[in-house]
Amino acid sequence: MKTISFISGRRHVSYLFLLVFYISTTNALAHTNIVPLSATEQQQQTVTGTVTYNNMPMTGVTITVKGKNTTAISGEDGKFSISANGTDTLIFEYLGFKTQSIALNNRTILNIQLEEDVNDLKEVIINAGYYSVKDSERTGSISKITAKDFEKQPVTNVLAAMQGRMAGVNITQNTGIAGGGFDIEIRGQNSLRSGGNNPLYVIDGVPYASDLIGARVTSPEMPMPTSPLNSLNPGDIESIEVLRDADATAIYGSRGANGVVLVTTKKGKAGKTKFIANVSSGFGRVTRFRKLMNTQQYLQMRKEAFTNENITEYPSWATDINGEWPQDRDTDWQETLAGGNAGFTTVQGSVSGGSENTQFLVSGNYSRETTVFPGDFRYTKANVLSTINHKSENKKFTLGFTAGYTARDNKQPSIDFMQEAIALAPNAPALYDDAGNLNWQNNTFNNPLRYLQTEAGAKTYDLLANAQLGYSILENLQLRSSFGFTDLRHKETSALPSTMFAPSTGRTPSSSSLFATTANRQSWIIEPQLDYKISIGKAKLQALAGATFQQQDASQMTQQFYGFASNALLYNPGSASRITTLSSGESVYKYQAFFGRVNFNFAQKYIINLTGRRDGSSRFGPGNRFANFGAVGAAWIFSNEKLISEKLPFLSMGKLRASYGTSGNDQIGDYQYLDTYSTSGYSYGVSGLQPTRLFNPDFAWESNKKLEAALETGFLNDRISTTVAWYRNRSSNQLVGIPLPGTTGFSELQANLDAEVENSGWEVTLRTVNVKTENFSWITSINYTIAKNKLLSFPGLESSSYANQLVIGQPLNIVKSYHYTGLDPQTGLYTFEDANGDGRISEPEDKTAIKNLNPQYFGGVQNQLRYGNLQLDFLFQFVKQLNYNQYYGTAAPGNMMNQPAAVVSHWQQPGDTGPYQIYATDLNDAAITANSQFGSSDAAISDGSYIRLKNISLSYDLPLKWTRGIGCRLSVQGQNMLTVTSFKGADPEFKSPGYLPPLKTITTSLQLTF
Amino acid sequence: MKNIFFTTCFLLLCLSGCDSFTEVELPNSQLTSNAVFEDQATADAVMADIYTKIRDNGLLTGNSWGISNQLGLYGDELDFYGNPLDGSLAFYNNALLASSTEVADMWNNSYNQVYAANAVIEGVAKSASLAQADKDRLTGEALFVRALVHFYLLQCFGDVPYVTTTDYNVNRSVSRQPESIVYGLLMADLEGAVSLLPEAYTGANRARPNKWAATALLSRVYLYEGLWAEASNAASAVLNQTGLYGVETDLDRTFVISSKSTLWQLMANSAGGNTYEAQTFIFFSGPPTVSALSPSLMAAFEQGDQRKAHWTKEITGDNGETWYHAYKYKENSSTGSSKEYSIVLRIGELYLIRAEARAEQGELIGAKEDLDIIRSAAGLAPTTAVTQTDILNAVLAERRVELFTEYGHRFFDLKRADKLDAVLPVTKPGWDSSDRLFPIPATEIMRNRNLAPQNAGY
Repeated sequence: MKTISFISGRRHVSYLFLLVFYISTTNALAHTNIVPLSATEQQQQTVTGTVTYNNMPMTGVTITVKGKNTTAISGEDGKFSISANGTDTLIFEYLGFKTQSIALNNRTILNIQLEEDVNDLKEVIINAGYYSVKDSERTGSISKITAKDFEKQPVTNVLAAMQGRMAGVNITQNTGIAGGGFDIEIRGQNSLRSGGNNPLYVIDGVPYASDLIGARVTSPEMPMPTSPLNSLNPGDIESIEVLRDADATAIYGSRGANGVVLVTTKKGKAGKTKFIANVSSGFGRVTRFRKLMNTQQYLQMRKEAFTNENITEYPSWATDINGEWPQDRDTDWQETLAGGNAGFTTVQGSVSGGSENTQFLVSGNYSRETTVFPGDFRYTKANVLSTINHKSENKKFTLGFTAGYTARDNKQPSIDFMQEAIALAPNAPALYDDAGNLNWQNNTFNNPLRYLQTEAGAKTYDLLANAQLGYSILENLQLRSSFGFTDLRHKETSALPSTMFAPSTGRTPSSSSLFATTANRQSWIIEPQLDYKISIGKAKLQALAGATFQQQDASQMTQQFYGFASNALLYNPGSASRITTLSSGESVYKYQAFFGRVNFNFAQKYIINLTGRRDGSSRFGPGNRFANFGAVGAAWIFSNEKLISEKLPFLSMGKLRASYGTSGNDQIGDYQYLDTYSTSGYSYGVSGLQPTRLFNPDFAWESNKKLEAALETGFLNDRISTTVAWYRNRSSNQLVGIPLPGTTGFSELQANLDAEVENSGWEVTLRTVNVKTENFSWITSINYTIAKNKLLSFPGLESSSYANQLVIGQPLNIVKSYHYTGLDPQTGLYTFEDANGDGRISEPEDKTAIKNLNPQYFGGVQNQLRYGNLQLDFLFQFVKQLNYNQYYGTAAPGNMMNQPAAVVSHWQQPGDTGPYQIYATDLNDAAITANSQFGSSDAAISDGSYIRLKNISLSYDLPLKWTRGIGCRLSVQGQNMLTVTSFKGADPEFKSPGYLPPLKTITTSLQLTF
Repeated sequence: MKNIFFTTCFLLLCLSGCDSFTEVELPNSQLTSNAVFEDQATADAVMADIYTKIRDNGLLTGNSWGISNQLGLYGDELDFYGNPLDGSLAFYNNALLASSTEVADMWNNSYNQVYAANAVIEGVAKSASLAQADKDRLTGEALFVRALVHFYLLQCFGDVPYVTTTDYNVNRSVSRQPESIVYGLLMADLEGAVSLLPEAYTGANRARPNKWAATALLSRVYLYEGLWAEASNAASAVLNQTGLYGVETDLDRTFVISSKSTLWQLMANSAGGNTYEAQTFIFFSGPPTVSALSPSLMAAFEQGDQRKAHWTKEITGDNGETWYHAYKYKENSSTGSSKEYSIVLRIGELYLIRAEARAEQGELIGAKEDLDIIRSAAGLAPTTAVTQTDILNAVLAERRVELFTEYGHRFFDLKRADKLDAVLPVTKPGWDSSDRLFPIPATEIMRNRNLAPQNAGY
């Protein structure tokens, strides 16, 4: 009883809300439900009823009287009301659901159950950026995932949501620290520039700069500074489209070389005002740690190392064995320093609804994530999204407006504890002394928790707003324009108080430092467009012309505040005794383009799509600013040929498509063509001026030629659908920071290299509807990618600074290593192949073993099962690749750093085979050198393939009968739950050894819809 | 009508965006290279920046990654007490690897300083509006810096490329030049600097090199090359400037900002700031945090040597152990106004250069006189050495206790006297004779094959 009264109480509140919205949205809603009767109609009657799906009321379903202009939209609790003749047929339509036609046969009450349209992919509308196409008529390579695919993942970054779900898109997480980033490569590495392979992100039509913000010195996330993509809340995203081939990306011209990621946020739908509330919470842990030596093994190693060098009196700095440190402690520092549980909490709510002409959505989200590290660190994020869409009564004028605002607050230790956790001796002393103070063990212990004294904080405020106005000048001619504005404000600080140093250093607050970075980035964009459509007989022509004007202003400043009277004043810059501006800069980026598209479709069988763009960018010197890009795409839908549809009735879809064209890349930063001096920030009586860079006024666009052919098929009414695509992208005129030797004074020069890089591969997707009954459905989607990357040509490679890094015919991402030839049973040292036979192992001559670090193939297997109200989704991700293992960068066995447990099997006396080398201290040059070479040999790169249960979620919708019409979904979700691998190291997915790997996360959530 | 209006507006909007839209102005944090050298103030700011780079990074910084600390550890001046994860441990153990980032930083920062100096030389030469006196002075300073940095590169790495242009097409494929060629270029640059630099100091506190600073460095280069007469004459030229320079008899004044024994010093990084050397070497309780003076160095001080009392300091630990740290610079944090700057060239060294050069030429009396000037300032009796060999050994011993923890003097002295293999193995078990040179950074050889072969032993 109590529950019911609670629920009905809630309902009253919601009615109140509804009322407010009804008033504010005028009486338009009423119009849609009760369509005025035409005087000429005979035997008109009002038909009412309810539309449901899975026993849930469906709002926003469009109901039309067949052959007439009368429409209605289902509203309150799925109820609708429409005027029709008793002999009419009603059509019920809703995107993603099967369209139903019901003959009235004089009925006045109709209760309809809609079925989810798991089969009919043909009708899915694909957003291609400046235009949209029906999936079946698409000539380019575009994949789409929708909220349904990723909403069950407990992730806060949009790239995490995409991982493993799309062919040709390779995403890896680069840190497990909250607020960290991901690396993405769409169809491989095109540019020799490591920072030049990011796709273009476009959010609701507004390009979003994904360049990292912040500075290394003030940033908590070790491998990479902050990624602005964290501002996007996956819960607000309706769909993500990834554009890959020339046909799809050429219209993005200079910015499309690495693919385009289009993000569309959720919009309101006409119908009953809908409230959704979602609460979830859970925890995360590190997926895998390294297996390291315990104290007994470690101390044995250390003592043996000194014995091997005939040292009996341990030196003063060997505090682990010279008596300073206890011999009986045994700590797994990985567990102690990174083995905690990170807590996750997310609360999300949204209100949406509207009339046929005006719809709205307002949503809010708050999430909080703590860390696996000791200490009180956390990452919180709050955002608000609001959208309004409006259509004028005569449907000529349309308006869309979206504004999103995100505030992020991240507090992390200034370092990643993993670094020390894997190196620290297992018998290192306790972290705290008996009095509860940090233990410095008589100044011999560089206590890792000194970093708890430090704090790296980042606050980011991100506003993204856009408006789209459209006006139909003629029936087939539409003028529209989008306007976008972004405003990113980022402030980060890294506090290094004197208390992080041992007391013996005598540090006082007068040597405390605060590093602070402020970064701002504002941009606006205007894109007017004219769209024309015409049909003549079986032929359909669509044309689009438009222009882009964009400007981005950015500024960044990093300062050091040094010397305080007290550490309590650390965050008060005014009390610092010295302020140094480490870097400061402003930049303006201007971008202008004209673009167009012509699409010709004959009889829905033959389609040709032409796109082009002329781009100008201020990132290039005068004379090199403009370039043209274009593509042609064609498709033949052979399943629409009469002959085939008659002879092969089981073939529900058959399409051959191909495209060829160019796109470019201007991700090089601003002003690189100028010869300037800039302020260094350091003072020598006056503030110094330094040469900004080695300059080259003549560099120009990098161009990328893309070729693709694909076959798309559907069988048995699309219960089985497949895509097989082959692509070949060639990138030339490589624009790179050419690495230069230090003797030039700098480490690189911005210039075009006459090198050509080819990415080619096969992408296969398969989607099957395995079972489909009213109560049970099971859908499987598989994607699989084989990708090859190859340096085709590089004139002058031998004499260039890449000579020892690249090889013609090999991928860009290779490592040239020593070839490990086993342990010398006599000396106990690692041996390597002396490739040039000069009697010594030296680089670069002997680094001849080539290892390819690109994945050989990768993919995902996604399953969606539904039984009644119960849903199970899971995604396996698999990657075949090589990765740096735990011997990469590990000190020589015997040094005062912990070692992988496997190193216990080591050489002790002549004849031993190890496999690991003699224990040695730093004094044994030969052992140190051999170990360092081991770390850069092919022995430190091994199989890093894995199969990972990336995501699993189980959810249950409580029957509406129990909840009195309130949708209530309970679910459990897991991320990175299970990993199958033979990798020698921590996490095989992870490419930054020694940093915190991605976390395994489990959350539970409750969602209410009413 | 309305439609035509809209369409016209649209077309106008599209066409109005002519190419000039993509023009951007120079950011206000930057100046063009041409403009910089047309104004004396900005040209001087460029030169000043080179000194900040020398002070903060590269071989000569007083930070722990400069050679004062690293070569102290590498040789026999300092013992290591820091964090084993610290890159300095490899210096202490003579276990440097070609992949060492510390060594790569030394190399790259040095050549970045050389680039900046060459840019000054080229920029000043092109300048239309700088006064000739400013042109000469700035060119002289830049030549001096170019020689100074190459001198230390040569000592640490052996044969090195001597870079004299900013042209990256030349500099990207330079080869290592034999030591004798580099010495020749060093002398030519320093002789040029001596002729261009004014005798008077520019600005306050001897923070910009003058003619005599360049002469002093030239004197050292002659000495290292065995040009005894030239070394002696150049040292005399400086020592004769008694109006400007002299030995401080109060040892506590030798390293203060106004010391009259200073020829050239690097200004602190802020008003009120002091030296990085003090921050690196000083510790307050034991065990030490980075390094401590080695027992062998402490034993090298003769009885009654006031330098031990004034330039080192004893720290006692809880259990009665003792350590010493260098105490030439005494201010390890900021003061109201700066009290100490990092002194790169000083009169004490010049007396010892001349003593050595004179002894080598058989002028034993003059050699003893010079040596005794330094000894008497330290409160010591005149030397008892008589023969040429004894005097040369006495100079070497004196240099050890006079110039300890200053820019690797001790290590370079042992090296040019060919005594590394005889002296270092006593206290340095990791020493072997190929350690006399640092490795050329591995990435540098990778990027420029002409730098091969790697130094022996790496």
